[in-house]
Amino acid sequence: MGELELLHGYLIIGALLFGIGLVGFLARRNMIVMFLAAEMMLQGVSISLVAWGRFHNDWGGQMLVIFILTVAACEAAIALALVLMLFHSSGRLDVAVWQHLRESNQLPFVDQELPEAEVEEPVWPELTPAGVEPEHSPDELVHRGHV
Amino acid sequence: MNFLSIAGLTPTQSLTLVTTVLAAVSLWLLLPRGGGRFARSIGVVLGLVSLGLFVSRLSGLTSLGFGAEGFGAKLVFWVLAAITVISAVGAVTMRSPVYCAIWFAMTLLGTAGLFLFQGAQFLGVATIVVYAGAILVTFLFVLMLAQSEGHAYYDRVSWEGLTSAAVGAVMIGVLTMIISDALAPPTAIAAKDDPAASIASAQAPLVDPTTEKARAAEILSPQHMDHLGAQLFSKHLIAVEVAGTLLLVALVGAVAIAIQGKQMPKTAGGARHG
Repeated sequence: MGELELLHGYLIIGALLFGIGLVGFLARRNMIVMFLAAEMMLQGVSISLVAWGRFHNDWGGQMLVIFILTVAACEAAIALALVLMLFHSSGRLDVAVWQHLRESNQLPFVDQELPEAEVEEPVWPELTPAGVEPEHSPDELVHRGHV
Repeated sequence: MNFLSIAGLTPTQSLTLVTTVLAAVSLWLLLPRGGGRFARSIGVVLGLVSLGLFVSRLSGLTSLGFGAEGFGAKLVFWVLAAITVISAVGAVTMRSPVYCAIWFAMTLLGTAGLFLFQGAQFLGVATIVVYAGAILVTFLFVLMLAQSEGHAYYDRVSWEGLTSAAVGAVMIGVLTMIISDALAPPTAIAAKDDPAASIASAQAPLVDPTTEKARAAEILSPQHMDHLGAQLFSKHLIAVEVAGTLLLVALVGAVAIAIQGKQMPKTAGGARHG
């Protein structure tokens, strides 16, 4: 592939990852999933940086991605400790529990209707019968313990 | 798309618009709501269609100087890109957070493959080791501690699904449009700008043939780790030290947060004696 085409493709993928992560961060309510979405945005930026570094023949892009990795690791450690704390004090991973931290002129968010839990029947494996089941005589059943 | 070109948009812009709208609708349908399986499958179909439109736009620009000789590299690139993007959508839209984490691991593997494909070998391996090996396992550990059984209600609803999907799709659309305009060949730029700018851009081509050789000696050289380490510990030495300090601070901070959360409710004096 030509260098320019490669750069173009990589930048597009970086933009897609960034946008999808943005949607996830805005829309999801589980704190851990929000955090995953933020990490995904970081991945999108990393891809763009590596592509630019290759295009300009410069190590700066890869260096910056190394430090992004470092900061992401720190961020994950602190944020997960905080999430665990919040979970211990509220019992839920829902961000809406903490909406009293909002600005005083904002209306509270109220869940209109909660969707029902999708109950799915567990699918058990069915074994094919290995043959015809023989007839049991009551004597056999009684004497089986002696065999 | 004739009705769009009547509205004063070029075919490329109208294609971007259609792609963006399709992506927004599909993301909205895929995001957790009360919707059933049917809406989700429609969302999958729409998402695939919009991805296909994206690819058609890309290859419309990239097939210019391309014969059959680059086919293998192109195939590898597209497969990695498809894995990355599709599993990213899965990571964002799955109901169960454990599935989200697993799909995110797939995204990370695709990203690592893309890094390797760019010649960034160290980053490819480091992404797998640090992200998939450490961060993601910590996520799963926290999920295991926090969410014992079943799906919670907050995994089945989302904030303002349509608005956020629209925001994300507009973001993607604007970014791709900017990128495609900036990277378009100079002849395409010349059609829009004044003649002087087109001459200037023609005189300074984006891909310089001399940098190709330098690239083979520098970024793509076989002694990848040598060059990377030499750069990292000479030019960026202070940044390395600062990053080390940051890791230490984060470690102490995480432990302090966790310990304080455990012992505060019990006795204030016990923590002091211990």
